[in-house]
Amino acid sequence: MATIHDEIDNWLAADVHAQLSEKERHELHTHLVECPTCRKLYQENKIMNQILEEKFMQEKQDAAFEQRMVARFHDRIPDPSGGISKLIVDLMRLRAMQITAVAAVLLALMQVGHLITREQPSFKEPAATAGYAMVDKLETRNKQVAATNAPPSFGALGKSDSRRADEATTFATGSTAPQNVPVPAAKSPAQPDKKVRSAEIERTIVPGSNESVAEGYGTSSETATTSSSMNRKLIRSAEVEVEIASFDDAIQKITALTNEERGYVATTSSEKQANGKLKGKVVVKVLPENLDRFLQKIRGLGELKNQTLGTEDVTKAYFDTESRLKNARVMEQRLIDMLKKKSDDINDLLQVEKELGRVREQIEQMQGELKYWDSQVQFATVTIQLSEKDMEEPAAFLLKERAQLALYAPDVEKIYNDIKSLASPKTQIKNAQLDRDNTGRVSARISMLIAPEESDAQIAHVKTMGRVQNFQVQTERVAQGGSGMSENARTKRDKVELNMTISREEQEQAFQETSLRIRTSAVDDRAKELRNLAEKHSGRIRSSTFSRDPDGREFANVTLRVPMRNYNALMQSLGALGKVENVSVQRQDRSGAQVDEANAPADMSIQVYSQGNIVSSETGLIATLRNTLGQGAAALAWSLRMIGVALAFLAPWAIALAAIIWVVRRVVRVRAGRGD
Amino acid sequence: MMDANEREMYRAAIHGDRDAFEMIIRTHSRALFAIAYGILQNREEAEDAVQDAFVKAWKSHWRLRDPGKFPAWLCMIARYRARDVFRKRRTVPISDEMTEPVESETTDTTALDRQLYFALAALPELHRSALTLRYFEEMDYQSIEKLLGLSNGALRGILGRALASMREHLKPALASLE
Repeated sequence: MATIHDEIDNWLAADVHAQLSEKERHELHTHLVECPTCRKLYQENKIMNQILEEKFMQEKQDAAFEQRMVARFHDRIPDPSGGISKLIVDLMRLRAMQITAVAAVLLALMQVGHLITREQPSFKEPAATAGYAMVDKLETRNKQVAATNAPPSFGALGKSDSRRADEATTFATGSTAPQNVPVPAAKSPAQPDKKVRSAEIERTIVPGSNESVAEGYGTSSETATTSSSMNRKLIRSAEVEVEIASFDDAIQKITALTNEERGYVATTSSEKQANGKLKGKVVVKVLPENLDRFLQKIRGLGELKNQTLGTEDVTKAYFDTESRLKNARVMEQRLIDMLKKKSDDINDLLQVEKELGRVREQIEQMQGELKYWDSQVQFATVTIQLSEKDMEEPAAFLLKERAQLALYAPDVEKIYNDIKSLASPKTQIKNAQLDRDNTGRVSARISMLIAPEESDAQIAHVKTMGRVQNFQVQTERVAQGGSGMSENARTKRDKVELNMTISREEQEQAFQETSLRIRTSAVDDRAKELRNLAEKHSGRIRSSTFSRDPDGREFANVTLRVPMRNYNALMQSLGALGKVENVSVQRQDRSGAQVDEANAPADMSIQVYSQGNIVSSETGLIATLRNTLGQGAAALAWSLRMIGVALAFLAPWAIALAAIIWVVRRVVRVRAGRGD
Repeated sequence: MMDANEREMYRAAIHGDRDAFEMIIRTHSRALFAIAYGILQNREEAEDAVQDAFVKAWKSHWRLRDPGKFPAWLCMIARYRARDVFRKRRTVPISDEMTEPVESETTDTTALDRQLYFALAALPELHRSALTLRYFEEMDYQSIEKLLGLSNGALRGILGRALASMREHLKPALASLE
């Protein structure tokens, strides 16, 4: 720990400023008594303090300083508008006001949101009370309980109730009830249903007080729902798709099942596929209440592929038609009355008669409609799609063969005509074409169809006509009347399609290419000898040239083609012509193709040449010197260019770096200035 | 610690209450003047700097969140403002300032004043601020600490070293006075 002596400056300062505690001052003065150095400092410090106090006393601001500051502040920042804004500022300082303001802003935002989305806030609807009033009317025993102020949430319920009541009344007033709906039942379902609903509502509103009443109605609720479902006109239908093993068995089973469920088979249809499989459709009518059980049984027939169940509600249309029918009947009766009473004017009579006819027609139509609906409602329709397994199995397979043949022949036209003459009922020429281009090259293309039993013989015959370059056979099995595999479908061979191209032998690519040079002194003579040799080996000269350059060198270029079997003999005899140089051999190994190697052509290109007798200007001391100097200059130029590139690459970086350093130094200098 | 009234005053000033701000001007302008004077050693300039500091504080009062930091914040603005003035002044040739006191060097007191001036100028800025706050306003250490954001030990050290430094600079003068 630092002693007083070490930190004497701090202690002395605090002492003259009277900021030492009693204990500290005591410690300091004890030390001062002991230490003469510190005592001296103490004296000096006291004087220093005095000087400073005097000095700053002079500089001290006058009493009006604050007033002056405030006044100047006023001058520089004039009070914007004392009254309202100040009041607002004062008010806003209150926490309560702040909360209120935030709440107001939020509320405003919500209102804006409602405006934008056009969503109506869910407040009480007038329809709610109206709906409730309806219930109220139907309710007889709990009039006083049906609250006058219905909660808004019951609006929707009340509305639906009122609609239901409307339906019920129309139903109840209908004079001709359908056969399966007893007339007395028509009146009862509407009211109990209503009552049950109102009872439920009451239970929610006034729990306890009307418990017994609510219970009383609760018992009738079940009968109400069942009878209301019976009033509905529902047409039920189902569609089922089943894959079965045998169609006939399935039909028998379906008939049996239908009889079990007291229904009947309406229609049956079946269709036989090319592969002998059957598929078909059965339409069955069963009683609606037995439908589900029937469908369950149908599943046992085979594999269920698809099932659709549908219900159509025709209640509204049914009762609409019914009430229209009733009106039409009234109309009919009235017209009949008219006929009976008024019989003086023929015209009127006719008019009435006509109208009566129209009304009756309408009545019949509507009756028919109702009957149709009744029948539809009475029975549910089940459409069963049946298909035997392996429906897609093919009936038969067809084997299609396609052969490609490329021939080389010395005389294309002759062979072309020969092949054309092969045509017979079993060998049909589909297409034959002979092309001759402007250089005189001839090629032919023939495509023919050959009966399967003759195909092999014919193709073998054609092959002997020339040199086969390429022969390919492609076989395809085509399924008929289906797809995929089948174990018992027959396989048939179709006609063979043969596509041929015939080209001249010269166009054939050489099996082997050889190039070599022969050095000799008498070029012309040797070239002649070479030609003789080639002919002796049954070769053909394809081209030959002779040239002499200014240096006195002579060249003879000969290209020739010999059959492969004579190639080696020719090569050996070439040695007699001169010194054989630069032999290079290139062989085309055609994989997979059937090649008659002995007869395949081999190309040779032979250069017979002599060395000149004049020294070239590109040799010697001067030329070497010139070359060396030229290359040296080029190298120098190249290195100069590289230096230029390097400079262009580095210069921007150097400039950027210098700029950054300059900015950094500048900033450091400014900071240092501020730190002073 | 800061009492509730004072805190409320700062809070109101931050929220733009002019009256509260004027109250702060009244209570704080002397302390700020002391600080500015410590930096500038010129009454007129110091007064202008304080004035500017108040205007700037009023204009940017919304930037401050914590009312408790208001005095220190105000103090900092004044220091920066004074430093700006000082830096601008530095471009003026320093010889003018040098010659002025020399001309009027007739009595002992002016010589002492000049020595005091240079001795003060030689101190770091923070030391000068602490000294001026102490001698102008006779503030106790606690208030100075709060204004300058220092601990007690640090302030003692600063004032001790400041006095010692002044002593060193004025040694000849002190000797003559003794």
